Amino acid sequence: MTLEYVDAGKAFNHGQLSQLPHSAPDVTRGIDYERILRARDESQNWITYYGDYDGKRHSLLDQVNAENAKDLKVAWIFQASATGMIASTSTYAFEACPLIVDGVMFVTGWDGWLWALDAKTGEQLWRYKHAIPIDVTLCCANVNRGCAVANGKVYMVTQNAQLVALDATNGRKIWQKTIGDVRAGESASIAPLVIKDMLITGSAGGEYGVRGHIDAWDLETGEQRWRTYTVPKPGEPGSETWPADGEAWQRGGGNHWVTGTYDPELNLYYAGTGNPAPDFDGAVREGDNLYTDSVVALDVDTGEIKWHYQFTPHDLWDYDSTMEMTLFERDGKKLLAHFDKNGYMFVLDRTNGELQHVTPFVDRIDWGVITRDGKVTPRKYPDKEGEPCHFFPGPAGAKEWTHASYNPEHDLFYVPVADVGATATRRRREFKEGMPYWGAAVEVDVDNMAGSVSAFDSHGEEKWRYRLNNMPMAASTLSTAGNVVFAGTPTGEFLALHAETGEKLWSFQCGSGHHSSPSTYTVDGKQYIAVPVGWGGWLEGIVPGMSGQGHGAALIVFSL
Amino acid sequence: MTIVQEREDLLAELGGQNKATIGAVLGTGSIAKATERADGTMEATIRIPEDAMVWEPAVLILPHAGTLELTIINDDKNTHACLLPSNGDKQFISLVNHSKGSATLELDGPGCYWYGSPAGNDEGRGLTAAIVVTGEVPPEAKLDRPAQPRP
Repeated sequence: MTLEYVDAGKAFNHGQLSQLPHSAPDVTRGIDYERILRARDESQNWITYYGDYDGKRHSLLDQVNAENAKDLKVAWIFQASATGMIASTSTYAFEACPLIVDGVMFVTGWDGWLWALDAKTGEQLWRYKHAIPIDVTLCCANVNRGCAVANGKVYMVTQNAQLVALDATNGRKIWQKTIGDVRAGESASIAPLVIKDMLITGSAGGEYGVRGHIDAWDLETGEQRWRTYTVPKPGEPGSETWPADGEAWQRGGGNHWVTGTYDPELNLYYAGTGNPAPDFDGAVREGDNLYTDSVVALDVDTGEIKWHYQFTPHDLWDYDSTMEMTLFERDGKKLLAHFDKNGYMFVLDRTNGELQHVTPFVDRIDWGVITRDGKVTPRKYPDKEGEPCHFFPGPAGAKEWTHASYNPEHDLFYVPVADVGATATRRRREFKEGMPYWGAAVEVDVDNMAGSVSAFDSHGEEKWRYRLNNMPMAASTLSTAGNVVFAGTPTGEFLALHAETGEKLWSFQCGSGHHSSPSTYTVDGKQYIAVPVGWGGWLEGIVPGMSGQGHGAALIVFSL
Repeated sequence: MTIVQEREDLLAELGGQNKATIGAVLGTGSIAKATERADGTMEATIRIPEDAMVWEPAVLILPHAGTLELTIINDDKNTHACLLPSNGDKQFISLVNHSKGSATLELDGPGCYWYGSPAGNDEGRGLTAAIVVTGEVPPEAKLDRPAQPRP
């Protein structure tokens, strides 16, 4: 006799077994290009990755100020969960910058998560979970840096190189595009940027010998508008900086994995590009290797490279230049500042890429010298097979991807500085798609570390320094008109520093290290500061002495 | 040293409850391939046999990314559950003794996904299995470069 099965029904969204309302106010409906152009003026919100197109990470809010910052308290905590097997389990991190629109917060996590939260109470309104394969190739962690919002939607990339558009009121997917080849080692971690009726994204995977690219997608349909490769093909401009008879360009790297900045008057998108591949074995890619380790200024309508500036020609130290290109003005001139992994601060004329000046911003630099007028002289690099070479800064750089902020009132950049060396021993390997393609054995110093939040004026003069206790900085800073700079440390302290002196005004131990970008906003007239807290990432490169510290997965919001 | 002829015997020792170790060792069970329908969607059945604490197949292969219609059967004399990956949210189904249900999954490819039973006493045991999406990314998502050598 056959027993009938009990009907178990149909599987349903796991989120139904929760108290989530699965809905949020339609706050992103009115966000468009015109509104993002004036993002800083609506300081109650943080509607684009850097808070504004210029990358300053500076808010006009001043309710929390240098006088009362000592009274900051936890307003609410959102606890995300990390369960089961995920890709890069040991390196997942909470790297995002939360966006806030009229009382609703949108924040991304590792492994395909995006949460919509009530920005006043922390209540989770809805969530989206993209399914991420456990075997996806990630260098160097399971992370995501943030989302974009416009026209009733929320946009994010996923670790397995997908771009998704979600309904901002309920988290349901509207469209999805595959934007990279996971078999080739491509992934995605960048926060998309809305410009006009497009989304700009870039690829990750430079450690696997991919060919970097920057893409524009239609906001409404996901249709691709343009793609610009950051490594030229033979015959294209810049191809003369690669071996003429080789295959090196096909695997050249130069990935754009951190959001760029944008000047609407010049119609230029400033994209930082990553290291060439293989990272440390330059003999297989003779030449300057354009456009790796560069800023490329793209015509945002066509993707055409209008000008470029290369910060580390023929890189042999893994000195990506993906981090922010901060746009500012001085003496009537349109300028761009960039703090590079190679330890130098560059200021360029952003209309044409002309160098203004170069200044070191970290104490220990011995890989080479760059003069104030930009002449580069390499001194120490992995050269002979099997011969160790120690150099400063190590491959995580004097400043990793985490962002500086800029207070225009004081003409001060607040820079998260890392002062850590490393040893690379050249070990040549043949290229195979999807395999790490470093060309070296690399060990980052476990001890002898230093770091600080350092304030530099736009000429490169250091004005103050808040030293960490034998620890590099590994999180973005946030500047506010309240004369406060916020910064989180690897050991978990969230600091409020005086913007003019660096004096510590307040700190809170968050229970996990910081590797994210805080933002600030108001709801009902009250200012909040939000910081994702979840230690992780490429810790063996950034601060290997803290790679056993353990993870966190919380978003903590402070107010008076 | 293991010789080829011993492999099936050794796998049998690893692939069940209270054999070589407490639970079945990951990835040591049976393998099956989903069926592709005319419309491109795929279908397959996963099942918990009696007193085995495993999913059959332990590895389910999909020919490509897309939509998978799963039939899920609990032939065990215990209550289990199933939490499956899918774009949007994980898919959950409770599986009382001798029950049958279904799930619709949307998965990208290529890539390897894991699922299991989140019911009490099940996690960490043999009730963890894989869905492996084969194939390539769409042609338009590939890099503009000549075909490269692969491992």
